[in-house]
Amino acid sequence: MDDQYEERLKKLIVETLALEDVAPGDIVTDAPLFGEGLGLDSIDALELALAIHSEFGVRAEENDPRNREHFHSVASLANFIREKQASPATSAAAAERG
Amino acid sequence: MVGSRHGGGWVRTRGRARVGAAYMTVALYTVAAPFGCVLATGLGLVWRRDPLRRAQRLQRITSSAYRLMHNWLRFWRICHFDYRDALPGLPEGAFVVVANHPTLMDITSISAALGRGFTVVKGELYRRALLRPFLEGAGHVAAADGDPLSAQRVVDEAVARLGDGHPMIVFPEGTRSFADRPRPFGRTAFEVACRAEVPVVSVGIECEPMYLSKEVTVFRPPDPTAQLRLALLAIDHPRDVGFDSRALLARVEGRYGPWLARRRLATLEARP
Repeated sequence: MDDQYEERLKKLIVETLALEDVAPGDIVTDAPLFGEGLGLDSIDALELALAIHSEFGVRAEENDPRNREHFHSVASLANFIREKQASPATSAAAAERG
Repeated sequence: MVGSRHGGGWVRTRGRARVGAAYMTVALYTVAAPFGCVLATGLGLVWRRDPLRRAQRLQRITSSAYRLMHNWLRFWRICHFDYRDALPGLPEGAFVVVANHPTLMDITSISAALGRGFTVVKGELYRRALLRPFLEGAGHVAAADGDPLSAQRVVDEAVARLGDGHPMIVFPEGTRSFADRPRPFGRTAFEVACRAEVPVVSVGIECEPMYLSKEVTVFRPPDPTAQLRLALLAIDHPRDVGFDSRALLARVEGRYGPWLARRRLATLEARP
């Protein structure tokens, strides 16, 4: 399975959130990002959502009941980005941004 | 029987009286709380014309209720807390109060000491029909509750309340503290302070002997009477850390571990 999204996401998390003492390779793909896992908080989630929009052209919407699921781990975020990029609306917006 | 006042019999009688007073307090609270809720909700619905004034009034009413509660607990020697001049040297205008969270009386004591203030309330509680008009009217903010991206709304609303001049009260550990060390702090309060450009007031709360913690229930008031105290640890302005919420969090969080260790040591030394 192509895991380039996972690797890009790990790099993005470390760079965007300026995580000290954490390298992209240290992040476990299926491990929780929040709380007991990587220890991110809700403000980190906001910054990460902005970075994902800027990097992948995918926007996570507030009040989406699946946000918690999407932001659970690197793996779930990567799947969310794949799903969104495959949807016609996102593809059209990305093409428009060109 | 003056001589027996110092004997085991007097201590047992005093202990039973304190437990009896605790039961009476819970009974009174159970009867009075629904009326208080209805009254506060009614006022929240009636005072609709001027939201700012409504928030000020409802916050004052809440603080007055908490002051009454602490006077009651002090009178019955269940817990001693004097809200008068409990936090001297607070800054002018709006600010964010952060505190450790050892007991169930933390919000009531800080609110009683400030005489005003809003906080972030669990969404489940905020959405209850009986409470919402009051909580909304008093300027409290509903928590994000699981949606990581709802933090934006929480931050925006809290910044707006601070802009109106209301102080914000936050327990950045998110839940009750451990007895001997702080839990990791969340960043929301610090992000709010940075965006609103208001100072963060660090408050240390201690209760000795411990009462209304996770371990000590309302029906087990300690003997001697629990002493609840607030200590103003520091005031930090976000501009001192370049409005960086991570740096502000690190600066504030770094104070609590050593402060708790010092207080724990002082408590142990003071014990006979």
